Amino acid sequence: MPKNRDCPSAPLWAVSPNRMRLSKLLRMSRRDVLLSGMGAALAGSAAEAGEPDAQNGALAATDPLVQQFMVLSQRLTDRDALDARIGAALCMGIVQSGAERKTQLQALHTVLTKEQYASASDFARAAEKQDAALKDVIHEIMTGWYRGVANGKVVVYRSALMFDLTKDAVFPKTYAAGGPFYWTSKPPEVAKPNGLPALSPSKFVVEPT
Amino acid sequence: MSSEENLSADVVIVGSGVAGSSIANELVRAGISVIVLEAGPRVDRQHFVENFRNLENKPSYQEPFPAVPWAPHPPNQITPNEYLHTSGPDAEAYQQVYLRMIGGTTWHWAGCAWRYLPSDFELKSRYGQGRDWALKYDDLEPFYYQAEVTMGVCGPDPAVEDLGSPRKQPYPMEALPISFAAQQFRKLIDEKTPWRVVHEPQARNTRPYANRPTCEGHNNCMPICPIGAMYNGSYSVYDAEAAGAKFIPNAVVYKIERDAANKRVTAVQYFDPDKGSHRVTGKYFVIAAHCIETAKLLLVSADEQSPDGVANSSGHVGRNMMDHTGVQVTFISGDQALWPGRGPLETNVIDNFRDGDWRNERGAYLVHMVDDNQVDLATQMAIAKGYVGRELEEQIRYMAAHTVRLFSHNEALPDPNNRLTLSKTKKDALGIPHPDVYYKLPEYTVRSCEHTRKVFRELIGHMHGTEEQWTPGYFPQDHPSGSTIMGVDPRDSVVDGHCRTHDHDNLFIASSSVFSTVGTGNITLTVAALALRVADTLKKELTHA
Repeated sequence: MPKNRDCPSAPLWAVSPNRMRLSKLLRMSRRDVLLSGMGAALAGSAAEAGEPDAQNGALAATDPLVQQFMVLSQRLTDRDALDARIGAALCMGIVQSGAERKTQLQALHTVLTKEQYASASDFARAAEKQDAALKDVIHEIMTGWYRGVANGKVVVYRSALMFDLTKDAVFPKTYAAGGPFYWTSKPPEVAKPNGLPALSPSKFVVEPT
Repeated sequence: MSSEENLSADVVIVGSGVAGSSIANELVRAGISVIVLEAGPRVDRQHFVENFRNLENKPSYQEPFPAVPWAPHPPNQITPNEYLHTSGPDAEAYQQVYLRMIGGTTWHWAGCAWRYLPSDFELKSRYGQGRDWALKYDDLEPFYYQAEVTMGVCGPDPAVEDLGSPRKQPYPMEALPISFAAQQFRKLIDEKTPWRVVHEPQARNTRPYANRPTCEGHNNCMPICPIGAMYNGSYSVYDAEAAGAKFIPNAVVYKIERDAANKRVTAVQYFDPDKGSHRVTGKYFVIAAHCIETAKLLLVSADEQSPDGVANSSGHVGRNMMDHTGVQVTFISGDQALWPGRGPLETNVIDNFRDGDWRNERGAYLVHMVDDNQVDLATQMAIAKGYVGRELEEQIRYMAAHTVRLFSHNEALPDPNNRLTLSKTKKDALGIPHPDVYYKLPEYTVRSCEHTRKVFRELIGHMHGTEEQWTPGYFPQDHPSGSTIMGVDPRDSVVDGHCRTHDHDNLFIASSSVFSTVGTGNITLTVAALALRVADTLKKELTHA
């Protein structure tokens, strides 16, 4: 008789896109931990900001790097209140997305502490002027909070700020709550904004399907 | 390794998508025993919904549906591809995606349920292009209706909005009310152009139907309706199973056996995931394994009796590959806020270019104004432009409310040189060759696409559009067809007007692979109607036998 494979031997969850990304991420993380461990041994120093907790693999909200990340995030979003748990997860994803990210976050924080900036745009402009490479990490912070994505992985979906901004008009896909035919009603008008970009433009490539 | 078990049924069906499961459901309810062999696994909706929510690249329709090693499918539309290897001048235009799993590719269709036009079946005699089918629209009309009832199709009242395909019965459900964005688009088309926007017929519930709920507008028909308000093949699987049909998942058919005269199929053989081989006998056999996999299976089954492949005395198995090639543009409208993404994905169509005398020169097409939630795209674009903080938030809102996407389905023609063959170098985990496809866009289609671009530019002008982003080149619409083409002459076609192979009396094909031309409407309803007609033929033959 053929075996019952209604639940296939290679379970689908094990090969789902996120799972694949996660394993890749874990592999990177292990390597990074090894490298940073070697670095720490050479430097003779112990625990450092931005190191994931060994037990749960997450950064603590009290981690100094996360605290810097939250200050940066509030400035770059022009928002006073942001969720610290989401911030810790985004911070970890960004740190793991590239070897230079942690240093860049710290450098960005240094720029922020040097002067009082009136807006996200003022700060971003100053940061890029000081070091063009800081633009990338600002993009990552924006992508994290507004799209809910860090290191190519979904950290939050419904809680991404882009949905908070548009909740009076549209629902995140798969989470509609307006009832049948809500879509026939008139959504809000939106005035054309006249604000300017703060950073130099980057090439935008639509990901293929 | 070979199994001792005796698997046998009146009708053995390969493939559990819309075609295979619809046939199974019809036959088993007429007291005919059925076994359906599906190469991929049994799957569930919620798993895919979760995969989607965790997907970074949300427009990647294929990614929430990972393949299993024994039944690979194309992972994406990227050329070169890990599974479907395309080549030729327009290789990228044939980089189709589809799914191999219980329920088939309609897990991620958009529910667009068009009937073809009568002229679509008579392209050669009316316009001197392509071929005629070996059946007429009227032959298929009752089965179109049966498919609409089975799938639960909503559509407009023909007295108010005639879609050009004559109907003897009204749609099973009233048309879906179109979104505010689509209403504005329709108004603009009415006022500024000689064209019209019609309600798209859809296999989507506008009231509770077939134990499934009314559509709530989750805007995620592709890649996965979270609540099952849109029909997909899995529902016909469940119905057929409830009536006693046997579905065997993870059964990868690799051989079609025939009798000594090579006139009748006697059995099919399949591999399980451990490459154990099993044999299934029957009186009739239906290959309903999607256009690409159906041709692949016939070719893989080549042996001494049929050195070019089963059902291939014409040499046309794998040839005449067609699709609806697409032109696509995204832009920012300068008019009032539309907020696309409220309601289902595809609800409205400009249908003026589906037929006309010009079809003697260029292909027909239809135009979708896609009602796709643009919040994520707007966010990515605004970040890339360099916005941060409050200015970024204003841009996201503005672009999400004003981004418009148009795309077309442009008609191909059957060209024997556009051909699927078996890969000589790439094989799957079971040792079965991957499919290769050579593709060159017919000039007929290229001219059609050029016309579409002109129309799109005109529409962008009417909408005071800016920031046009044209999808480069030509892109596949995942409507592959033609690989086992239908015709009256066994010398240049694979199946007859009843989808019976010319070569083997008891072997039928139920797939878009039998299409002689591809028209403009999405192909699924025609696939379902043809499949139900096959079921009708089988019922008559088995009942009278």
